[in-house]
Formats: sequence, structure tokens, C-alpha cells
Amino acid sequence: MFKKQYESHETVSIIFEGKNLDVEIGQTVASAILVGGNMVFRSSVVSGQPRGPYCMMGVCFECLLEIDGIPNQRACMIPVREAMKIKRQKKTKSE
Amino acid sequence: MAAAITARAHGLSVLVLDEQPSAGGQIFRNIESLEATRNSEFSKLGQEYEFGSSLVRRFKKCGADYLTDRSVWQIDNNLQIHHVSASASKSNSVNSHCQAKRLLIAVGAMERPMPLPGWTIPGVMPCTAVDVLYKSSGLIPDGEVVLAGSGPLLLLIGCRLIDVGVHVSAFLDTSMNGALLKALPLLPNALRSHKYLTRGLSFLWKIRKAGIPFYSGIQNIEALGTSKLEKVRIGKSGKFFDVTADLLLLHNGVIPNVQITRNLGCEHRWYDVQRYWEPIVDDWGNTSVEHVSIAGDCGRVAGAAISEVSGHLAALETVYQLGVISKVVRDNLSQPHRIELARHKHVRPFLDKLFQPSKTWLVPENDKTLACRCEEVKVSEIRETVRMGIKDPDSLKSMTRCGMGYCQARMCGLTVSEIIAEEKKVSPEEIGYFKVRSPIRPITLGQLAEID
Amino acid sequence: MIKENAEVVVVGGGVIGVSLAYGMVKKGAKVILIDKVDNRLTASRGNFGLVWFQGKGKDMPRYVEWCIEAIERWPEFAENLETETGFDLNYEKTGGLEIFLGEEEHQDRVNFIEEMSQASRSGRYDCEMISRKELQGMLPKIKLGKEVSGASFCSHDGCVNPLNLLKAMNTSFQEKGGSYRPGQSVQKIECSSNDFKIETGTHSFNAKKLVIACGLMTTKLAGMVGMKVPVIPERGQILVTERTSRVFNYPTAEIRQNYDGSFMLGSSHEAVGYNIETSYEVLQNIAKRAIRILPSLKNLQLIRSWAALRVLTPDQKPVYLESDQYPGAHAITSHSGVSLASIHSSILVEWILEERIPPGFTAFHPKRFNVQEAI
Repeated sequence: MFKKQYESHETVSIIFEGKNLDVEIGQTVASAILVGGNMVFRSSVVSGQPRGPYCMMGVCFECLLEIDGIPNQRACMIPVREAMKIKRQKKTKSE
Repeated sequence: MAAAITARAHGLSVLVLDEQPSAGGQIFRNIESLEATRNSEFSKLGQEYEFGSSLVRRFKKCGADYLTDRSVWQIDNNLQIHHVSASASKSNSVNSHCQAKRLLIAVGAMERPMPLPGWTIPGVMPCTAVDVLYKSSGLIPDGEVVLAGSGPLLLLIGCRLIDVGVHVSAFLDTSMNGALLKALPLLPNALRSHKYLTRGLSFLWKIRKAGIPFYSGIQNIEALGTSKLEKVRIGKSGKFFDVTADLLLLHNGVIPNVQITRNLGCEHRWYDVQRYWEPIVDDWGNTSVEHVSIAGDCGRVAGAAISEVSGHLAALETVYQLGVISKVVRDNLSQPHRIELARHKHVRPFLDKLFQPSKTWLVPENDKTLACRCEEVKVSEIRETVRMGIKDPDSLKSMTRCGMGYCQARMCGLTVSEIIAEEKKVSPEEIGYFKVRSPIRPITLGQLAEID
Repeated sequence: MIKENAEVVVVGGGVIGVSLAYGMVKKGAKVILIDKVDNRLTASRGNFGLVWFQGKGKDMPRYVEWCIEAIERWPEFAENLETETGFDLNYEKTGGLEIFLGEEEHQDRVNFIEEMSQASRSGRYDCEMISRKELQGMLPKIKLGKEVSGASFCSHDGCVNPLNLLKAMNTSFQEKGGSYRPGQSVQKIECSSNDFKIETGTHSFNAKKLVIACGLMTTKLAGMVGMKVPVIPERGQILVTERTSRVFNYPTAEIRQNYDGSFMLGSSHEAVGYNIETSYEVLQNIAKRAIRILPSLKNLQLIRSWAALRVLTPDQKPVYLESDQYPGAHAITSHSGVSLASIHSSILVEWILEERIPPGFTAFHPKRFNVQEAI
């Protein structure tokens, strides 16, 4: 659980799981999602257990989200952009 | 940054590839923006930060070709470097190449993974994660925070949290019992860089003074919660108790990020005091691979001041190797840097020994703990595979899938070596480490194929 | 030195050695399996996992029949292993494809199939050409690239998880009383009139029969017991992507989508000695071809790559040999150890234990290489 320590300066509007979020420009997608109180980013590909961001610096690959239709993006390395569509990743079904 | 400044000062053409979106590395993350738009906080971050700010300014002016948002994914034997955008993965983000005569790797360090039962539950993070969130986005933890681990960085983060009013409900100290006694012989020399020590002691004092419940001699830590962290179960002297927590911040030391040096085939040696592999280098940062040198904490971890100095020294060496200056000139120019190095290095052996990671936190006793987060491989599975006769990490990888995931063993590599070493009753040095192959970072097939 | 006795000592813990050892304990023999566990050299942990038949056996009809028989035995072989150990081999006998780009590749295949059908003695050579349209019909969830001209399809073909196969056979071997001795390397072999003494650094094993099936080291060890078995390494590189939803339900020799959703891409052949490094050019070529076949692959992220060494005889067909000088010593080497596991663990085991020589077996004798040289 995280909160912003100061008022945002400039914001952009992104869509997370269908809901609009106003987030400060210059933030990473990971921090923008975290500040909304969302700790769970995906379900793990092996067992489906809930996973969220861990290292915040790009080495652990836990913060993977689907961004603008493209899966498995490291959210902690991607800055937010206006109208970005972000979704949690579910474990894919093997048929 | 220091290396670029020095190399440029001697007229070399310099390309700096930075995976982050702005200059500063990890310690000085987002420093330009912080100074410009969040100045009150910037000034609280201390004198070190002012030095960092000045370094960034000099770097930006030095004339190096500076590319941000670049992930290096492959380096050929002839030092052709392939890189893509770190943040865009569409196949129309171009795969770029550049040919280097010499390569300097300064990719820094990372936290040593601290596997414990439940460490994959959202809400468990290494302590530097909050540092990143604070510096780059102005986020602070909201709710109950538990700090667990051992090391100066944990104390620093603890103090920062106190400063911004975060409620730390417990500090779990996992330092080795008797560590101070073992480190004592190194103390007299360490006093020559006494500023580090007084700083460290002041952190400790601040934490105690804030009234945070402080527990030492911790034997077990388990993170519990269904979809996110709810509480931390602590075991001490055979007794267990729970602490409510929204965030569990771990720290078990800092280790060099050797992904690229391993991939290039540089020789590494085992640094037993701090239980990690470091690339073998000479006094100038030259690795065992021709034309490749390192600087900073991607070798022996020594902190910001020494990292900066090592950057200058590695650059001077490069300038000399490329024939721009003579050996004598290189040696003369290096003198002030060597003096600076001497000022700071005395404290390291003491700190390294004092904060030696204890075995409990290197090899999880609880067999159900996940050693490999990406592929969910339990410690028990690794032990079983070793008992079946497998003792090298790559064979273990084939049999268990450990190390095959996205992070390519960054999070499990050391743990695997430690587990195998413990089972075989030898040093991890004898066991070795996974082979690190390309791609160093994931890229799309379209980027690899270089199609339009 | 620790001394141990057995009826048979098998040297080599790859898929061939383990399938032989497994087959032997199933027949009640007392077997010791010595496994060096050298990941740099083992082909068994670096292969594509195909249980394959189409495309094999050119110029050796006996081998074609051998492969057909192996493939026909595979489903039962897999079922037995799964029942015995509880391991899931992820064996899928969906039929296999070879997809072609452009007319030339297509025509080459037509010619090949024609040749093979004519040469096949039993008439069981079974592989058909399918048109681009039919192929797209078989793959409703993914679009073919523009250059795809068609494919060949063999209903016998399939794929398996090769690591689980190895684990399952090894586990069953041990559960049925086999002795597994990993981390040991054969230093010396002494042959007397009725048995063999095999020494590693720490152990001395005695057995009446010896089976050498240790991949690239076969030449050296077979040489110690009077057999000339030439093998050379050939490097293959493989790309593995992130997991994605299942869209490609048939394996090919170049592209397959694993059970967990990740794509494996490969098929490269390089004579580079014992080098297991990957190279930018080859990985790029593999990616380029895969995208030409299935364009939507371009958006998948490559997570890892690897390279491994195939074990090839001069004509890439198996060598099954018993030593003339030291009867009781056998050497076995083959490409396609996975596809042949079913027949190695049955018919070859009967040859080793009961001296039941399969018909036409001389085709697998390495003297055929001398004949070729003479020509």
C-alpha cells in the first residue's frame, strides 16, 4: 500500500482494468498502479498465485502487465502515457 | 557518468546506454526532476545527493552520446552491441547496433534475493523498492511496515521511513549472532573512514529512539496473506508470534549484477565474506575479456564514492589502451583518484564482515520456500534433484526449470548455488553458477529478425 | 575403491543409456547405470522433444522400418512410464508437419516422399503432402505467412517433454531396482574372458555385459573395448519465447508450441566442434524463418536461447554394435534417441540380454562407413 507524498503536478489519464486513473506524468506504470491501492498485478504463469511488483528496478520481472494489448511488459520500466490501457495478466490456459 | 566525463575529456567518442528513463543510476534516481520540482525533499536527501546532482550536470555537458531507455540484449565477441527500447516492446521498436572498440560495464548492483516462505506474496519487497518509489514517484508506504534483514541500507531506509512519518511496526534484525565480535579486528582500520561508521551508528540510534520494536536473533520469518500480505510470522528462540503488516521490506545485502559479465565470459571469483561472485579485475577494472572493463558496484560492492572513482580510473585505462595517453600520464592522472579511493575503502572490510549474511537467510530451511520465483521451483525440489546426483546448476536447470523464467536466474542464481553447495558440503565456488545466455533482456522475435 | 557387481553396466545417462537401462530392469536384469552428468555435452537435455518419423531414413530403408516400428510402440511405452511413475510426459501424438516456403521447398518434399515410399519395403511409409489451404484449415487460430506453399503431414508424428521422459525413465529404472551412479566418469575398462571391470575414480564395477551409450564420448570408450564407432558433434541452437495461449497444435521440426504455451524455435546445423555458444546470426535466421511461416510470432518476446550438440554418425543413422574382440561389450549411438526410446527399451534390450538379433540388423553395423569411404 502506497500513497503519494505530495500533490501531483501534471497528470495523464490512464485506464486500468476498465477504470480511469489520473496519474502524475513521469511515473512508471508500476508506481501509478500501486498508488491506487492495487498490489496484485498478475497471476503467476505456473500456478496462478497472485503476484505484484517486487524489485522496482527491472531485474525481477514480477510486475508484468498487459499494456495496450501487449502482454508481459515490465511495468516498472515503462512511463505512463495518456490513454494507456492496462490490464492484469491472468495465467493463460493451455488447451 | 564519471567514466564518460573522463573519457570525453581525452577526446574519446563515448556512447552511454542507460536502461532508465533519466540520468542518475539507482542512487541518484530521477535526480534532475527531484531537484527541479521537489526541491524540499531533494535537500533532505543529504550532501551525497548534491554531489550526485553536480555529477549529473557535468555528465550531461561532457559531450557523450547519451541514450536512455535502452536495454542491451546481446553483445557479440567482437563487441558489437545490440540494444532495443527498454519500455516499448512492439516489433517496430528498432533493434539498434553499435560497434565498440572498448566496453565499460557499469550496471551496478542489486539486492541479494532473500527467499523465505511467502516471499512471493504481493506486499513483500526488497527495501530499496521503496527508495525507488520515493525518488521516482514520490510514493511512501501507507499502512503497517515491517523491516527485516541485515545491512546498512536497511538502517538507512528505516530512517527515511521514520522521517516521512511511516509507521514501522517492527524491525527484525537477522544479522549473524556474534558478527560484531568477528568484525572487531577490522574496526581499527575502518575508523580511518569513520564518517561511514558514525553515520551508521546514527541510523541505528534513530531507529531505536523512534521506539520501533526491535528484535534480533530472528530465526524464522514467514509472510502470510491470501491475495496480499496480511501479517508476518516471526520465530525467535523457538517461540513464534505474528505482526500485522501491509508491507514487508527485506534486505540481505547488496550483490553485483553480473548478468552481462557472465554473458561475456568474464572470469569471476567467489567473495566468501559477502557470499557473491564478482568479476575478476585488475586495479584498472580490466576483466579477463580483452577490451572489456567494469566500474562501480557491478564488481566488488563498495558504494557511491568508490564507484565514481573506479569510473574515472577505468576511463583513464581505456584512454591509455586506445593509445591517446602514455602509461606514465595515465598513472599521474590517476593519483588523485587513488588517494580518494584510499579515503573511502578502509571501512569496507569491516562492514562486509559485520554484515555477513548468515546461513539461515541464504538457504531457506523451510523446504516449501520458492527458490525460483518465475518457475515456482521449491527448495525441496532442488534438494531432491541434487540428491539424485545432479550437482551443476545447468543440469539442475534442465531437470527443474529453475532459472528458465523471465528473470533468467537473477533472483535464484545465488540461492541455487548455495543450496547445491550445502547439500554437497562444499563452497559455492566449487559449484559454479548458471551459464548466462543471450538475450540479456527479453526482446521480441520481430526485433531480433529486424523486420519492418 | 567401492566394488559393485551387476549383470550389465550401462555407461551413459542420456536418453539412450537410460532407455536401455530401463528396458533391462523391466526384464529382471541387475543393472548399474553410470552417468557423468556433463551438461555441456548432453544432447538429451537440449533437444526439441520430437517423437518423429517423417523425413528420416533416406538411403537406408532398414532405418525407415526401424523408425516406424519405434513410433508405433511409443503410445504404449509412454503409457507404461506414466503409470509406473506418475510423471506426465506431455506426449501428444497429433501428427507432425513440415511447413514449406515457396515452390522449390514444396517440390523437394514431394520428390523425397516419392523416393521414400518406393524404397519402403513394408509399404508402411506414410506421409502425405497437404496444400496451403488444407494447412490453414488445420490451424484455425493462427495465420500462415504469405510464402507458405504447403506442408507434409505424417499422422504418426508427435512430441513429448524430453526432460520428463528422462526423469520418468530414470525414476522407474531405480524403482525397479536399478542402480544409478551419477557424477562418475569411466577411466579404465579391463576385459577378461567372462566379464568386464569398469573403473571410475571412486568405483570398480564388475559385469558380464557392458553397454556403451554415452553420446559424444562413445568413440573413446568403445575404442577401449575394440570397437570403432565414429561420432561427431553438430551444434543446434534453439529459441524459447514467453508463454502464450495455445494456437499451434502440431509440432514441426522447426517450430513447436510447448504444453505450457511457450514456443520453441530451431533447426540449425553447424559443425563447430564442441562449442555450445549461441550466435547472433543463427538466432536471427531462426527468428526470420519462423516469422515467415507464422507472422504473428513477431510480437512474442524471446526469453531465452540455448545451444546443444547433436551426436551424429557419418550417415546420421544409428550404430548398434557388439564387439568382436570382447563379446558382451556393446556400443549404441543414434540421433533421435527420444523417438527410438520405445524400441531401444524393448528390441535392443532383447538383443543385448538375450542375443536376439533383429532382422536386417547388419544395416546398423559401422562397417558401412568403410564401404562408403571406399566408394
